[in-house]
Amino acid sequence: MSQGRLLDLVKSQCRIFSLNFNPQRLRLGNKILRQRLRGPALAAWYPKQEVSFRDLQNTYKPLGLTTFDEAEDDREEAIQIAKLRGKGRPKKKRTAAESRSAKKKK
Amino acid sequence: MSKPAASLFHPKRLNLSGFINTRLIRDHNKRMAFEQTEPERQALRYMIRNTSLPGRTRAQAQLQLSQMHAYTRPTQIKNRCVASGTARSVFRDFRINRYQFRLQALSGELPGVKKASW
Repeated sequence: MSQGRLLDLVKSQCRIFSLNFNPQRLRLGNKILRQRLRGPALAAWYPKQEVSFRDLQNTYKPLGLTTFDEAEDDREEAIQIAKLRGKGRPKKKRTAAESRSAKKKK
Repeated sequence: MSKPAASLFHPKRLNLSGFINTRLIRDHNKRMAFEQTEPERQALRYMIRNTSLPGRTRAQAQLQLSQMHAYTRPTQIKNRCVASGTARSVFRDFRINRYQFRLQALSGELPGVKKASW
């Protein structure tokens, strides 16, 4: 078979299978376009939390049911105890002047 | 030039379950950032590899790709253990590290896995 016939064959092959016809073998970067996106697979590595306790609370509170979040209750209790011991968080400085005066005290 | 803040990639609400620590959350944020920016990165990569484009365009694409935030880079992603957050000796099939694998396998939590004996 002649060179021209072979080229025609490859050309129609590329047309049928929607490939890129590139007889000069130029570097057109098409292999990048052929790659599949890896993002969704990588993003699914860690288990997702679909429903949280707060979601349950939000759905059942309007129905008049009471809910009790033990972890949240424990946390609030610990904060109260820390406050009583004087170990609570410092008050948020809202203005630049306040934060400056707080630094000077040290 | 100041370093762009990684806090750009912190989600409003964390939707991870199971074991969580700071490094695991950081890795998760990187995964999310990569997923979001992947089409953009691929487009830039295509422009860089395409020798039929003018050199100036390709150089600009190179610059733009290199100036994207580090969190959007796939090489930043590290497979961490889902059960303990460890980054070393993590089995890809089970997503847990070798010690957690041993513990869970011995307690029968991994279907089809049993201790070899012959």
